[in-house]
Amino acid sequence: MDFTVSADPPHVVEFRKEVAAWMAEQFQGREHLRWSASWSTREDEEEYKFRRGLAEKLGAKGWLFPLFPKKYGGAELTIDHQVVLETELFKYGLNLSHVFYTLARIVAPVLIRWGTEEQKAEFLPPITRAEICVWQVLTEPHGGSDIANCQTKAIRDGDHYVVNGQKVMVGHHLPPDYLWTLVCTNPQGKRHENLAWIHIPAKLPGITIQHMNMMMGIKNAVFFDNVRVPAKYLIGGENNGWKVASTHMELEHGGDGRIAADPLVERVVEYCRNTHIDGKPLMEDDRTRDLIADMMIELNTLRRFNQLIYWRRFNKKPHPYGGPQQRYYQRMLRLRNGERLQAIMGADALEQNLSVHEVVDFEYAVRTGPGQLHGGGTLDTDRLIFARRLGLGRPTTEKAPETD
Amino acid sequence: MDLSLTETQEEFKKVAEDFVKAEVPAHQMTQWYKNKQTFRPELVKKAAEIGWLGMMLPEEYGGAGVSTMDCAVVFEALGHGPVPGPLFTSGVLSAQMIFEACTEAQRKALLPKICDGSAIVVPAITDKAAYWGPEAVESRLEKIPGGYLLSGAKRFVFDAEAATSFLCAARSEEGKVVFVLVDAKAPGVKITLHVGFFVSVAEVRFDKVALTGDSLLGTSGASWSTLEAALDKALPILSAYQVGATQEVFDITCEYTRSRVVFGQPIGRFQRVQDHCVDISINLDMARWATYEAIWRIDSGMDARAGVHEAKATASDGYYHGTNYAHMVWAGPGTDYSHPMMAHSVLAHTLYQYLGTPGHHKRLMMDALYPRAN
Repeated sequence: MDFTVSADPPHVVEFRKEVAAWMAEQFQGREHLRWSASWSTREDEEEYKFRRGLAEKLGAKGWLFPLFPKKYGGAELTIDHQVVLETELFKYGLNLSHVFYTLARIVAPVLIRWGTEEQKAEFLPPITRAEICVWQVLTEPHGGSDIANCQTKAIRDGDHYVVNGQKVMVGHHLPPDYLWTLVCTNPQGKRHENLAWIHIPAKLPGITIQHMNMMMGIKNAVFFDNVRVPAKYLIGGENNGWKVASTHMELEHGGDGRIAADPLVERVVEYCRNTHIDGKPLMEDDRTRDLIADMMIELNTLRRFNQLIYWRRFNKKPHPYGGPQQRYYQRMLRLRNGERLQAIMGADALEQNLSVHEVVDFEYAVRTGPGQLHGGGTLDTDRLIFARRLGLGRPTTEKAPETD
Repeated sequence: MDLSLTETQEEFKKVAEDFVKAEVPAHQMTQWYKNKQTFRPELVKKAAEIGWLGMMLPEEYGGAGVSTMDCAVVFEALGHGPVPGPLFTSGVLSAQMIFEACTEAQRKALLPKICDGSAIVVPAITDKAAYWGPEAVESRLEKIPGGYLLSGAKRFVFDAEAATSFLCAARSEEGKVVFVLVDAKAPGVKITLHVGFFVSVAEVRFDKVALTGDSLLGTSGASWSTLEAALDKALPILSAYQVGATQEVFDITCEYTRSRVVFGQPIGRFQRVQDHCVDISINLDMARWATYEAIWRIDSGMDARAGVHEAKATASDGYYHGTNYAHMVWAGPGTDYSHPMMAHSVLAHTLYQYLGTPGHHKRLMMDALYPRAN
């Protein structure tokens, strides 16, 4: 067994040097923009431009999807190259799984699995090169976790689908180029057999987007009012949307895996070394150390779960419940760590620190504990899928959908 | 990165799994635990024949010179039994301690006997059940002409009744922790099984037991840090054993959700029952991957101490909590001492305590990573 992610096989030794030098060049004089490919509503214009620019430069080299064919915007490299990219990016708080606001890590594999050759050729390169920003828009006002109960209708009319309906709690504070969504193509059809997946250009007439100010940041309501979408944007065929959704959700729900470690513990230790109570650093306090130990073990566990899923995914070793397990664990862990942070540092854990990136701010960690319990389906949905994949109370276990 | 087992490890695993099926069937095992007859000399003999005792030791001492991971794969499979007896205490912990602490002559005299099962050396470390640090070593070693007198009472000695000798921690006259070998049959040694919600544990009393001058491990009795070095290699094996046991609890519990029907459907269709299984699975996989990662660090020659403590903490927590969640699924039938769940439940509580609770090991993990200022 070998957990190493930095001991390179000979064919990537030079590649690591190349990537390291290239990344150093990109960040020269911009060290303060570490983490800036991550989601944040606090970012300014400089950070946004830098992030998009960096993503496009990575995309132009095929490095965002190193395993993909070149014709789809990839670089036709090996899994070892991909691990090099993941680990070198992580030195700057980034990794390939970071969405760079493009959602590419989910959208691209779904297109590979379900798109026609024409769709792959047309839609993939702008996504894999991070030239466009895609939002996933799935939740509906009355749907919630039950996304198969989709009320947004897309009715065929000649060469177009006419879309009417509403999605909520989606996207972020910056506008999308495309909306990646599930629609109902046959209102009279059977559940799960009446849906289609569609990639909608966001600038089409009839689309209105309104911000929603929410616990985890800016989200949006998207309204479709007789939006005429060319039929070529339908992915996976009419009434086949549930299968496409299954692939999408497997990737969204923890099945993608990643190689990265949350730096929360290092920051808590730094705080506890610098904060003195009665002349003694908090770091010498037994209760504090016990809380940090639990925080660390759970974050280590999450890192190992992510690495395991990543390894299994790219080595084609099926693991039916890895995704929902990771996702349920990850969200409960955030909640527990939010409480631990407050127990360690009191109200300091609730105050925003604008001098650090949002994703490494304690306040963000506390707020998104309860704030991210539901995104993409509730904890209960996670456990429901988990139970099916374990085959509890059933004669057979459910397989994970294909994700490559 | 490669998170799979090697071919050899898959073979080791298969042999141990077959052993468990043939020698430790659930109905038999349950009776052993129920009747507190967990020392099975025939199992020790067979384990020695297969080569599991002292398997990590170099071949010159009777071992097989295998890696920590190779050994862990075997103990994980044995945990499925759970196979009782001193395979870990004598074959891993004492073997490592003697290997770390002893002179070449002592190694040559002791280790081959541990490996062939003719000697069963059981660690007897603390005099207080409530703590596992050196502070809880209170037995006294008094120097007398030609040897020593050992006095004290060790509590919670795991596998005590299997011992041919004890590897005993004691205070020298200077107050230092030293280790001596004590014949289990020596006059003044008294073994009394503890009665309670644990298994295979006893108090071992040493009443002015006379020891010869060569009873010290090594030339000067070694030290607590020698034990720590031995534990660095041994604890992950115990963790792997607990992972295997938790996997067994998980497997039989998931199977039960398919076969047990109430209110007209298998209980596994009830979401609250599902939740308990999800919780077992998380406890199990937390422990499994913490253990494997620590072992990988050991076998790669990296500093593994924090990871070793993390592994013991998560494995003991995992077995304990996993078993508790399983009780929620099994309900009444799982609380019958004639049911395999009870063997696991009692053993999970025992191993939660043995060699230190999860809380103890979490503190040692923190001390390894962030040493205290004073």
